[in-house]
Amino acid sequence: MKKRFITMFLAAALLTASVGVAFAQGGSGVLNFGLSGNPDTLDPQKTSGTLTFQVLKSFYDTLVEPDVTGNLVPALAESWSVSADGLVWTFKLRAGVVFHNGQTFTSKDVKVTLDRIQAEAFASPKRSEFVPIKKIETPNDLTVVLSLGSAYAPFLATLASGWGAILPSGLIASGHNFAAQPVGTGPFKFERWVRDNKITMVRNDKYWIKGLPKLARVEFNIVPERAVQIQGLMSGAIEAVEFVDPEDLPILNANPKVTVKKELTSLIMVMAMNNSRPPLNDLRVRQAVNHAIDKQLVLDIAYGGGKVGSTFLDTGNAYYTDFSSFYPYNPEKAMQLLKEAGVGNKEFTIHVPQNYPLHVKAAELYQQMLEKVGMNVKLQLVDWSTWLSSVFSGGNYDFTVIGHTGKLDPDGTLAGYGAGKYVKWQNPVVADLLKRAVGVSDFAARKKMYTQALEIMAREVPFVYLGTSYRYVATRSNVVDFRMTPNIDTFDFRWTELK
Amino acid sequence: MDVLRFIARRFCRLLLTVFIISTLVFFVVRVIPGDPAMIIAGMDASPEDIMAIRARLGTDRSLVIQYFDWLWDIVHLDFGTTLISEEPVLTLILERFPLTLLLAVLGIAIGIVVAVPLGVISAVKRWSAWDYFGLVFSQLGMAIPSFWLGILLLLILAVRFPIFPLFGADSAAHLVLPAISLGFARAAVILRLTRASMVEELSKEYIITARAKGLTERMVKYKHALKNALLPIITITGIEFGYMLGGAIIIEQVFSLPGLGRLFLYGIYQRDFPLIQGGVIFVAIVFSLVNFLADILYSIVNPKIRVE
Repeated sequence: MKKRFITMFLAAALLTASVGVAFAQGGSGVLNFGLSGNPDTLDPQKTSGTLTFQVLKSFYDTLVEPDVTGNLVPALAESWSVSADGLVWTFKLRAGVVFHNGQTFTSKDVKVTLDRIQAEAFASPKRSEFVPIKKIETPNDLTVVLSLGSAYAPFLATLASGWGAILPSGLIASGHNFAAQPVGTGPFKFERWVRDNKITMVRNDKYWIKGLPKLARVEFNIVPERAVQIQGLMSGAIEAVEFVDPEDLPILNANPKVTVKKELTSLIMVMAMNNSRPPLNDLRVRQAVNHAIDKQLVLDIAYGGGKVGSTFLDTGNAYYTDFSSFYPYNPEKAMQLLKEAGVGNKEFTIHVPQNYPLHVKAAELYQQMLEKVGMNVKLQLVDWSTWLSSVFSGGNYDFTVIGHTGKLDPDGTLAGYGAGKYVKWQNPVVADLLKRAVGVSDFAARKKMYTQALEIMAREVPFVYLGTSYRYVATRSNVVDFRMTPNIDTFDFRWTELK
Repeated sequence: MDVLRFIARRFCRLLLTVFIISTLVFFVVRVIPGDPAMIIAGMDASPEDIMAIRARLGTDRSLVIQYFDWLWDIVHLDFGTTLISEEPVLTLILERFPLTLLLAVLGIAIGIVVAVPLGVISAVKRWSAWDYFGLVFSQLGMAIPSFWLGILLLLILAVRFPIFPLFGADSAAHLVLPAISLGFARAAVILRLTRASMVEELSKEYIITARAKGLTERMVKYKHALKNALLPIITITGIEFGYMLGGAIIIEQVFSLPGLGRLFLYGIYQRDFPLIQGGVIFVAIVFSLVNFLADILYSIVNPKIRVE
């Protein structure tokens, strides 16, 4: 009797398993994703939240987009050409693309979308990156000509960023509430957003890449508690999470049904120094701080590993050059430099945003390492909003620990440094190089300029450049091809399948 | 007539409370560090973009003008819209309230059902096995943090034995574990109070009189003593219930529930002024109403305490 029951049970299990496979082949899989927070809005032009863009990426397309290697490739624009002076960009648009509401995509949508983000009253957080576009012409339905006031090398990257999402002109005109109801041309159609609970999206059957997306549905489950996310992965209630805390790796690695993928992020982890505050305005003190930090150790313990950096760019970036020979870990040298500079027992404070536990952990390690070389260092936790206004913009800090997110163009990362941006570091040569590099479109020529600037930044160390951390993406083992877009770290579900 | 006057007076008091609290909050959230425009703009925004956002939000105007502007809206019962997503604050709050209310009712019900009988038995049979059980129970209930209990319940009843869902808020089953976690802590407080209050009543002179009159022990304990012992319990339970109606941040966090607590916490993190202000007013009103109901209940249980 018992035996028969087991056989029946096995048969049932096999049956469900095979049905599951059949579904997956038919491309009707449903992916349950564990999202750590609620997006602030679903309007792509009114936000700056990384998590928000991670969700929005599936609803919208941009004219060009980064491929798996980070190169910008055609998306809604099939091809483009640029005039010799770099001022006039002509985009040939893809034909036959439709928005989720049925409207056909034309050059008018590009124009109206760009008008929207450029409008001053609209107050987009990224308006200033779109202002260089002086004229938008639409000679026909499938051609857009954008004229710039001056040569602007990051232009394509701006169009490929999340803010470059193209919205349907008809709905813009009628005042549609994009904050609550996104409508784009993206691989998935928005279905529902129950705030702080769930966002669901379904496949766009008319997506312009034939055969994609493969999933029928993605459900973003908003699960703020890390431990619950992990248990969800272990039990199968959640099939993928984008970011696993290094502390949780051992139990996930031990589970045969969970696959953990290690990737290099495009984050630039730093401890910033306030270069306007004595004695941190003394190069010797900043050098001492750099010599005092065992960067690999901080990366390994606080951030779950990564590649040590030596200047202000992510280590995987095409414009990155290694200068790690400048200030290797050397506590004795640090002590000697501090003595020369006469730092004595002066008290320093490390401000760290408390909502990022990894930065808090890193700050504790920095504190210990600096105390080891004789510095008197205190830790101060602040909330994110306070950090932004008082520390980052206000400059009320000695040290602060933070990660700078990756950008599609180095100008996005570097603009403003050397001219007093939050580390209050003044260097006219660097400021000038960075400003001029924006107008140079030739990669080699541009890289030469950035290398020059980055070398000065590496020598003068307005920061401790910790490096670029790894990211651990954890999925159930049956999830295939869940991708993260390089440089901007957003999810890409187009190729994802459940096997 | 008396009752009407009482209600009118309470209503005026409520208005005054709400006015003072919300004015205070209006200025406090604007004085503490943090600028909603910077949060919207993020780390890489240009100063011009931040200024344009401030202009859109209206936070670039003088505080006094902002205050009177807000006051004008509030008098017209307009709670405004959130700064980032521009959704009506009242809609967001009312969307969340049913879940929070349900959770609070369940939590407090579990608390009362477990604690009051156990507290009464503990008091009547002091130093018995029941009493020790009650003491240990309430000690644990007060000592165990609710997030820990929540995670423990999830690990056992959602992971090890998958009886309840791990996260979400789609069905009644989603509310069982959070209600238990909430109720456990309330039960601990109410149990302590019930026992103490009951012990005190049982030692009073009227109990001796009642016994001397020849009333049965049952009548003495459960009619006379318990009825009087209930008064402080009603007060404290009312206050606890009021607190719970403001949302249970930790429980909502652990169980991934979209309640008021997370909404308000988000508002504070984002410095979403209209959301914080609307939340404070809402909680103040609800709290006052619950207190008012507790007072009415008071006078029903003991008619000698007339509302005045």
